[in-house]
Amino acid sequence: MASTDKPVDTEYSRPTSSAQAPAGVDLFKFDVILRFLLFAASLVSVVVIVTGNETKYIPLPRPAKFRYSPAFVYFVAALSVAGLYSIITTLASLYAIKNPALKAKLLLYFILWDALILGIIASATGTAGGVAYVGLKGNKHVNWNKICNVYDKFCRHVGASVAVALFGSIVTVLLIWISAYSLHSRVPK
Amino acid sequence: MGKAVTLSASDLLMRLLAFILTLAAAIVIATDKQTKLVPIQISDSLPPLHVPLTAKWDQMSAVLYFLVTNAIACTYGALSLVVAVVNRGKSKGLWTVMIVLDALVVALLFSGNGAAAAVGVLGYKGNSHVNWKKVCNVFDKFCGQMAVSIGVSLIGSLAFLLLVIIPVVRLHRRTWSINN
Repeated sequence: MASTDKPVDTEYSRPTSSAQAPAGVDLFKFDVILRFLLFAASLVSVVVIVTGNETKYIPLPRPAKFRYSPAFVYFVAALSVAGLYSIITTLASLYAIKNPALKAKLLLYFILWDALILGIIASATGTAGGVAYVGLKGNKHVNWNKICNVYDKFCRHVGASVAVALFGSIVTVLLIWISAYSLHSRVPK
Repeated sequence: MGKAVTLSASDLLMRLLAFILTLAAAIVIATDKQTKLVPIQISDSLPPLHVPLTAKWDQMSAVLYFLVTNAIACTYGALSLVVAVVNRGKSKGLWTVMIVLDALVVALLFSGNGAAAAVGVLGYKGNSHVNWKKVCNVFDKFCGQMAVSIGVSLIGSLAFLLLVIIPVVRLHRRTWSINN
């Protein structure tokens, strides 16, 4: 009789940790791919806007460089930070695939830092986009003439760079969604 | 074991704060208008002509975008506050959906802030390379009100950012203590 009581006792006294902590869905492969896409987008954005310098002779040589606008300088700085961040987290994500014990802790840090970087990338996109739009259309209320009819190559580079940065911010939002969903699936009911 | 996903009063307060701040930013920028008599020199012989010029928020697309993002964030803040109060942490799926939408609204708000700030800096300092003259020396009240609105919206976007971060930290601490 005593021997049959024992298994029942141990079952009730020690809560089975496996039932309380579900393994959760593992989306780390998508995580690595998205982080690499973020790195690619940041790199392309920075390179395209930095190589967009153009000089037009009207008749004196008047160059157009990204350095001439503080908004574009901030854009380049923010996207460089995002690119560096994406390299580090891609490597961290790859490492987590090899060491699955790290995954739960890494998800938390990913959401935290991804949210911060999202703020940075989104604000950079908005900043550069706003100034680029004024350069494209001009604004007659404040007598700011459009410059894109003169500096077409520069405007193309800036436009492409902002578009790729927008793609980068969408990728960052997707990264947060993936991490939130993975965390959600690990939460015990 | 209690629910790992709970709703605390601080979450609701943060949501209320975010709603109030974005609403305030939207109202402050929407009521931003200044008319000033600007002397315009037609020619050197004639005395300068005083022309009433108006600076209003709707003259710049970036400021309009800023107003729209603040309006969206404010509406979302109100709706999510109501849903959170009604739900009171019962549904785990709703919590995840809220984090997802919060992240989206963070991105929108930050981009609106960036656009308005960029245009504000342009109006404040001008840009000599493209001959864009500054306007804030003339329309000082307009520029000051816009700066206040951007500042308030920035704090509101920080509140939305904390809304993403804090529940995740709390959830992770709870699951960590359950597993260990």
